[in-house]
Amino acid sequence: MRLLITGMGGELGTRVAQLLENDREVTELAGLDVDPPRRRLRRAEFHRINPRDRTRSVAFVRAFDPDVVVHLGIYEPNARTGPRSAAERTRAGSVSVLGAAAECPSLQSIVVRSGIEVYGRRRGCATVPAEDVPRDPTSPFGESLAEAEDIAVSAGWAADVPVTLLRMAPVLGPHVPSPLGRYLRMAPVVPISAFADPTFSLLHQEDAVAAVVAAATSTPYDGALNVVGSGAVTAFQAVRLGGRVPLPILGPELRLIRPVAELLGSPVPPHVLELLHRGRTADGTLATEVLRVAPRSTVAVVKDLYEWATVTHIRAAEAA
Amino acid sequence: MSTLSDVISRRLSGSYVVDEWGFDPDFVAILDPLFDARWSIRVEGAEHVPHEGAAVLVANRRFGMSEPFVVARAVWQSTGRIVRVLGVPDIAPIGPVLRRMGAVQDRPDELAGVLRAGQLALVFLDRQLQMGARVGHLERETLAPAVEIGVPVLPVAVTGRELGRRWRVAIGGTASARTATGAGPLAIAETVDAVRAEIQEIIDHRT
Repeated sequence: MRLLITGMGGELGTRVAQLLENDREVTELAGLDVDPPRRRLRRAEFHRINPRDRTRSVAFVRAFDPDVVVHLGIYEPNARTGPRSAAERTRAGSVSVLGAAAECPSLQSIVVRSGIEVYGRRRGCATVPAEDVPRDPTSPFGESLAEAEDIAVSAGWAADVPVTLLRMAPVLGPHVPSPLGRYLRMAPVVPISAFADPTFSLLHQEDAVAAVVAAATSTPYDGALNVVGSGAVTAFQAVRLGGRVPLPILGPELRLIRPVAELLGSPVPPHVLELLHRGRTADGTLATEVLRVAPRSTVAVVKDLYEWATVTHIRAAEAA
Repeated sequence: MSTLSDVISRRLSGSYVVDEWGFDPDFVAILDPLFDARWSIRVEGAEHVPHEGAAVLVANRRFGMSEPFVVARAVWQSTGRIVRVLGVPDIAPIGPVLRRMGAVQDRPDELAGVLRAGQLALVFLDRQLQMGARVGHLERETLAPAVEIGVPVLPVAVTGRELGRRWRVAIGGTASARTATGAGPLAIAETVDAVRAEIQEIIDHRT
């Protein structure tokens, strides 16, 4: 099986590539991204291609002729890139790679990293949406994800192949550059909303990787799957679990703290603000049945997030 | 029974539990004495509520605000099970507080989600605004998920004065469609009729 990974330079992409390298059924493994992978890969081929470079992306995909495309080139605003370039890269990358793959003769399935941000958090929306609740994104990242889903579905329809949309809860972990993760780890004070402390669910990076690998290597599933850690936490609770001091802010949508947080090195994009103010949960039961994954609980994800030391000091003599 | 100091220490360490729907058991436990002082509720028919698994309770209401609290508390004190009440105003600060007490959005996909998670749900008929009026209507769409998923639909008759302390909650046996089989639109419509008729009958027999 020839497998193509987009977004292979990110934490998720690198880990997925590492696990797929060990799968004997994966005969050829290649990937592209704007940054190189974070860890050493043994047999996967990495191509440093900017998603906005359509010519090179398309040429590469056509030459590779993949059986399965794992589209992790979904850029979260303020994770690795700024908000505007994140949306542009996601769109450009989705169109070039998925569009080119749809025209390749060998394509059998597409797996897309999406997010539960596509359900949105409008007033009166369903609290714990299952996959059949209609999408209604209320943040730029949610819209970017919905657009990527549409491009993937369109490509899948054109090529007549199943498309698995993995709608993940916010992925956190010690090495994931998530704006929410950075925000929760601010020390010693983390501003939270005084009036509403809603619940949100998270997904551990290793469970996200496991879900992607399961979707890519087992019988293809056509449709959306919510991949969500069990249970939920509130912002106050998470901050207390991390031993930080929650600072209740009275103000609509915490807008007051955005510039302050940005100065402290933790920019807060609208979808994170929405999570802190309106919560973000989804029903992940179907994914556990279809992919046979068992994501860690949200509380476990939060505890793991705070285990990561901020800076590890190694004295020069010991490092030698 | 957790003491106040237990609750506070759980709050401070972050080790308390809030579920995906926003329900906060410690918060409800704190408010327990307040509810006890405000309402004295006599519950009948609690044996009709299943010990575990999903069910929908349909209750009547008049012109006050007490009924959701009264019915939820009645079920809790007689069976120990939490009821998700459909109909939270999604506006801070009242919305989040009610969610902590178990309220969820009043929409069919929310009800479907609650039922698939094996929880008890509570929906209300339209309000009876005149004294002696018949019980209110219920939209077919509201009850549709219950019939389609196939969970018991239990009629609940609530009687009491808004400013009074004594309330009576009578839970009836499962209401089902009279003639329709299956789970299509006719079955849903007949189930709505059946549950309304049951509630009306319980109220009529009491007075």
